[in-house]
Amino acid sequence: MDVLRATALIAELPVERTRLLDNLGSVRREVGPITMELSDALADHMNIRRGEVHEVVSFYSFLQVPTDAVRVCTGPVCDCFGARDLLASTAGAIEVACLGHCDLAPAMTHGDEIVPDVTHSTNEGPAVGLGSGDATLTDYEARGGLAILRELPSLERAVAELKASGLTGYGGAGFPTGVKWEAVSREPGRRYVVVNADEGEPGTIKDRYVMELRPHLMVEATLIAMRSLDASEGYIYLREEYAQSRARLAGAIEEFRAAGLMDGLSLELVIGAGAYIAGEETAMLESMEGRRAMPRLKPPFPSQVGYLGRPTLIQNVETLAHIPAILRNGGEWWAALGTRGASGSRLWSLTGAVHRPGCYEAPNGVTTRELVEEFGGGFTDDVGAVVPGGAASGILPPAALDAPLTRDGLREYGAGPGSAAVQVFPTSYSPLRLLAETMRFFAEESCQKCTPCRIGNRALHHVFEELETGEAVMTREKVDEWLLAMEKTSICGLGQASPFPVRNAMTHWPEFFAPLGEANRAARS
Amino acid sequence: MVAFTLDGRSASAPEGELLVHAAARHGTFIPTLCHDDKLDPYGGCRMCVVDVEGAPRPMPACATRVAEGMVVSTNGPITEFQRTLTEMLLSEHLNESPGGRPNELRDLANELGAEAPFILPDAKREEYDDRNQLMGYDPDACILCARCVRYTQEVMQCSALSLEGRGGHARIVPTWELSWLDTECELCGGCLSVCPTGAIYEKFEEGTKQPERQLEQVRTTCTFCGVGCQIDLNLDPQTKHIVKVTSKDEYLPNEGNLCVKGRFAFNFVHHPDRLTQPLVRGDDGELHPTTWEHAIETAAAGLKKVIAEHGPQSVGFLSSARLTNEENYLIQKLARTGVGTNSVHSCEST
Repeated sequence: MDVLRATALIAELPVERTRLLDNLGSVRREVGPITMELSDALADHMNIRRGEVHEVVSFYSFLQVPTDAVRVCTGPVCDCFGARDLLASTAGAIEVACLGHCDLAPAMTHGDEIVPDVTHSTNEGPAVGLGSGDATLTDYEARGGLAILRELPSLERAVAELKASGLTGYGGAGFPTGVKWEAVSREPGRRYVVVNADEGEPGTIKDRYVMELRPHLMVEATLIAMRSLDASEGYIYLREEYAQSRARLAGAIEEFRAAGLMDGLSLELVIGAGAYIAGEETAMLESMEGRRAMPRLKPPFPSQVGYLGRPTLIQNVETLAHIPAILRNGGEWWAALGTRGASGSRLWSLTGAVHRPGCYEAPNGVTTRELVEEFGGGFTDDVGAVVPGGAASGILPPAALDAPLTRDGLREYGAGPGSAAVQVFPTSYSPLRLLAETMRFFAEESCQKCTPCRIGNRALHHVFEELETGEAVMTREKVDEWLLAMEKTSICGLGQASPFPVRNAMTHWPEFFAPLGEANRAARS
Repeated sequence: MVAFTLDGRSASAPEGELLVHAAARHGTFIPTLCHDDKLDPYGGCRMCVVDVEGAPRPMPACATRVAEGMVVSTNGPITEFQRTLTEMLLSEHLNESPGGRPNELRDLANELGAEAPFILPDAKREEYDDRNQLMGYDPDACILCARCVRYTQEVMQCSALSLEGRGGHARIVPTWELSWLDTECELCGGCLSVCPTGAIYEKFEEGTKQPERQLEQVRTTCTFCGVGCQIDLNLDPQTKHIVKVTSKDEYLPNEGNLCVKGRFAFNFVHHPDRLTQPLVRGDDGELHPTTWEHAIETAAAGLKKVIAEHGPQSVGFLSSARLTNEENYLIQKLARTGVGTNSVHSCEST
């Protein structure tokens, strides 16, 4: 560690508590991994208790890791494609839960660089139009961009169009966007807009595609939201692993500023530090306020009490990316993009055992098989299992390949469309292994605050790992009880949703879980 | 006041009162582990979840405020969650009594008939040994409710403990795993007093060995300063010796808080060198036990002799920080009007 450099750098850093994560990121980049000495020096400079900075530093995965570290992703898709072997054969590599590059599985990063290189496999959809991408703001404008920002519709009209479109949050929770805008607009006083760009659900790569290919679209949509809701400050909370998105967004914001499109507005990037849970909206606010990213109790909701206690619109990247098209062409136009009775269009992250993994825009109501055949170049293997919408959405048998990927279409399977991260697993990858790896992810990413999430996910990871060797360490009855407690009593979506893939797997592959039932009978006799 | 329904009965509470308190006032006990009235609502352990009509999922009574018309049920199927959550906590609770302090998780487990189905393979946490002589900490008894950490941050406003890491690796340690002596810790023992499982405990031998609940408690006023903190001396039932000092939240003025002296510095009581009766030095040059009357007469005679020989300004009064304001007032009164000197000092002023 270069003491002089550290001292000089820290002395120049801002002292507001909201800058803590940013400052830690600067120190890590400029000086090195955060040690106790660096943490204490920063704490003293910012007038924060040393223990609280220690808590924050230790919460995130990367603050104590060098920026040039080699990271190997062991998320389920990467695990399926040999991540463990890659990890074992790569000297000094560290294991990370998800890098958000499942289309390159097994994904590896060396510092900010993706190894071997980022590729985009996508199409030209009607709403987000990822296909050609925009190199500059001029390109973007030439494609019809900026029209809405330049002639902003009234808030009432915007809300009406959003409601008519049926657009819901594409981060996974599916809250109606128009209703959210209206709720925030009804709160008095200073408001904020926060873009959730902390995409982290294994299998989900769509927001990265938007930010890497159409950063100007996302920035315009954010500025539209800010102007419509009279919010002068906006923040984009971006996961640390997305270096290219960071560069593209920073460039786009600068172009908007230079073009005079941001007068009176400030839009800043906040870079995360490796914590899936920071993507939970209230955990994100905690993180932005310089604390551990632990979810808040709801209610109150961020639309009432959000960033710094003020009403805050928190919107996922992809959700925003649909808004300019909706406001330009009308909510009804967008709604009509759907198929089989569903509304609208969506970006599907398609990964796993398909020839062309990538991110494709297709109608809501599409099936997995249609996505794979139309865009993914077909299956590479016999399908063993499919995850319809991110790790927490469910784990389904091949029969679900023909189910429309909507709430209604997946209901009979006990699953949901989640973040639309469709992951196809070959028969060679056991669903039990997939389940165990999924629970390992949730266990490691649990913020630890609430009992059912902290202990339940760890326990079930262990139960399923043991089941792989045929041993039951818990009865089926207890597993069901624990799942119910996790679903009903966890504070946030992580613990509330992680029981879903477990229940799916137990329903669709009962043979793997037979030992739990036998343990049940043994316990009763 | 607002009206609400508690388990089918009409109830009322001041608007905004925490549900856990409102229920308690109506005779309904809702178990909690992470809740502490001294701290901001946290809602982490989830032990206190209750059903609230219209809410999509159970709500934590420790962090939910009563509102007009709220319909709350605390009994019925919801109590199954208490047993399940207790089982979960037990599955990584490797040491139930490192230092003799009460364990509320064990109490709940007994009451609910909860047992760990198995012990988590990663339940064992790294041991922590601290060179301070007052407080011990066994991470294997910790349930991560963070009451101790929040106490240091919200009540003591110091940096002594940290909630470190996340997921299964999360643990509570003195900041950066330093010794408590090297953090801002004042060794007040407040973290210990709020720990529901006794993971932080009095380290000294006698207090550690005996279960706290088997000790006899005698309520008294701390003698260390004029604040008048209320304390319970905990006596070994056989020897009648004080083995630890505790306090209770309902005690005023300290609300259960103590300082390092009040909580830990009681060994003078039974110390062989302690003066327990007045002594006067005899002609043989040795100290001899005597009566208070004789001792005071002897002291007064000595003072009067000095005053007669050298004048009242030759006498000074030094009072102790252990006295009350009123006692300090009397000392200066004695000095000024009784003796006629203005040389009065209290060790508190330095």
